[in-house]
Amino acid sequence: MGYELWTEKYRPRTLDEIIDQDEIVARLKSFVKAKNVPHCIFAGPPGTGKTTAALCLAHDLYGENYREYIMELNASDERGINVIRETVKTFARTKPIGEVTFKLLILDEADNMTDDAQQALRRTMERYSETARFILIANYSGKIIEPIQSRCAPFRFTYLPADAVAKRIRHICDKEDVEITDDGVEAILELSGGDLRKTLNILQTAASIGKPVTADLVYAVVGKANPADIRDMMLTALNGDFIAARNKLRELTRRYGLAGTDIIRQIHGEVFRLNIPDSWKVKLTDIIGEVDYRLVRGATEEIQLSALLARLVEAGYEMKKSLK
Amino acid sequence: MPSTLPPIPWTMKYKPKFLSEVIGNEESKKKIVEWLRSWEKGVPGKKALFIYGPPGVGKTATVEALANDFNMEVIITDASTYRTEETVKRLAGRASQLGSLFGKRKVIVFDELDGITGTSDTGGLSEIIRVIENTRVPVILIANDAWDPRFAPLRNISLLVEFKRLSTTEVMKHLARICAKEGIVAEEKALKFIAERSSGDVRSAVLDLQALAQGKDKLTYEDVSWLAMRDRKEEIFNVLRTILYAKSVNSAKMAVNMSDVDLDMLFEWIYENIPYHIKNPSELAAAMDAISRADLYRGMLKETGDYSFLRYMIDWMTAGVAFSWSKKATGWVPFRFPERIKTASVTKEEREILEEIGKRIGKRCHLSSSRAIVEVLPYLAIILQNNPKIGKRIARWLNLTDDMISFIMKRSG
Repeated sequence: MGYELWTEKYRPRTLDEIIDQDEIVARLKSFVKAKNVPHCIFAGPPGTGKTTAALCLAHDLYGENYREYIMELNASDERGINVIRETVKTFARTKPIGEVTFKLLILDEADNMTDDAQQALRRTMERYSETARFILIANYSGKIIEPIQSRCAPFRFTYLPADAVAKRIRHICDKEDVEITDDGVEAILELSGGDLRKTLNILQTAASIGKPVTADLVYAVVGKANPADIRDMMLTALNGDFIAARNKLRELTRRYGLAGTDIIRQIHGEVFRLNIPDSWKVKLTDIIGEVDYRLVRGATEEIQLSALLARLVEAGYEMKKSLK
Repeated sequence: MPSTLPPIPWTMKYKPKFLSEVIGNEESKKKIVEWLRSWEKGVPGKKALFIYGPPGVGKTATVEALANDFNMEVIITDASTYRTEETVKRLAGRASQLGSLFGKRKVIVFDELDGITGTSDTGGLSEIIRVIENTRVPVILIANDAWDPRFAPLRNISLLVEFKRLSTTEVMKHLARICAKEGIVAEEKALKFIAERSSGDVRSAVLDLQALAQGKDKLTYEDVSWLAMRDRKEEIFNVLRTILYAKSVNSAKMAVNMSDVDLDMLFEWIYENIPYHIKNPSELAAAMDAISRADLYRGMLKETGDYSFLRYMIDWMTAGVAFSWSKKATGWVPFRFPERIKTASVTKEEREILEEIGKRIGKRCHLSSSRAIVEVLPYLAIILQNNPKIGKRIARWLNLTDDMISFIMKRSG
């Protein structure tokens, strides 16, 4: 035993075990004390403990057998609102026995639901509110419709501060008997940017390859996890070969199934490390933001991203011209 | 495993042997049988039968199958032997004079009459007329168009039988029969696509089927859907050229109406081909910007279902692209098939496995399938590669099967 993913092994079980996010934890504890929970929205970036907080809340509320009183659904997986509605109907038909008179329904990635589905969800939430309370989990609360937002208590999760993450890394390394160098910790912090899931995935993967975990090892792991070297793709574009850059993009998305939003995030980080004039960096961030916005509006990842690559080709060309 | 024999055309391999195996045109077939029967009671009023109809509907196949049913010897003459009066005379004339007192009865067939040259006054045609006048055995004429003026004298002395295009269902039935014999499991949708596309020409349908399915044990809709593009290639090339090199906004926009090429498909073609034609970096960036704007409107259309976005999509993908560059042609550049369409179909099965893997990981890790693939799977793959012992244990803890594990390892290897 003991061979599980550390993200699960070290996922806090109770509200007390949650690191940082003090304000959120305090509010959730007050719910536990009152034995009452309103509908909630947990919003914030990935890997900041939203699902964990929901599960810990359930644990503290119902005790060890909390699984019997909750249901986890993922809006991205469940086909359509009807599935969700039917599931909720069956789930909320009976009241739990005990002091807490409602069950808890955790709906992950709720911001991936269409407005229509959210409207239907709103009615379902109202109809069953006596026997079921909803915790909606989302990256962007802005994508949750007004009528739902107004019925929910909002919780805003933010990236964990670097020192809290570093502490967590060292704590786990202790437990797992993993040796890690200071620059190894630094590298993980830099690459995971406060996303605890990513942090632990990188750490566990690096630790499975070799000890001690050094910065080089960490970079090698992440470079391989995203072998679609995004930097390489960007440099190819800057050097003027659009077609080759587009092929790399296709390799990234097709072979490694990288999501467009992920690529954008990395491109954004990379732009500032590129050896291009600052004026172009500013111009490019504007374009990257535009691409991100368009993806939210339903545009196609590859086409938007390759338009961005064409801009890089242009930037490279302008730079060469000004050098002459 | 499929056989390794040199491919025999399936049109030959599955040629009907008996009339009962010929699909469609039931009325016409009955008429031919009756006419042939009438010869048993002596020479009928019309000594020639003129079968006509579009290519590939079974005209020749019917005659050959019938001859088999009636145990008759077929003396067939086709376009290649119509060159001169002499050959027709030698082949057919001789046969018609020889009675059927001994051995098999005979039937003289002039196939592919459309290929004959000259008029009835000269060459082969006049000789055919003479054969019919003098024959003591049935003569069958076959052509696509019986109403060709040259055939007027033939029409007058023959019984006309029309063969019509086959229905999609009829063609599908034939294709399904072939698939069964070849041991190919074919999706009905795939056969329907081939059948519909053949517009009742069963020969072309069978040829398409062979090209697409030979050696496979499975034929899916995805396998065949790209056929549509093959037909449309010229058409799409024209539209593409018109759009990319349009001299006015209107002509660029009008190009969309030049054909009934699917708009999404046309979009992909434009997107794929822009960088092969537009080389100047600033112009390329502008053109890609235009197509990405078209894509934005396409996305908004799909999200909202509001078709008013369609006009902006068309404007940007046509005029927007055309006017982003100076149209200095860089010599002849071939158009390329959209990669995005090709690759999407290649990975359908992979996608399904991936999705299942994602689902299982997601269940353990409280993630959706898609996020599990992006956020967890890459790391698992590295662990599996570098430390298979631990990797496999973790994979089993994630409820992944051995097949899934080897899929992941192969994919990252």
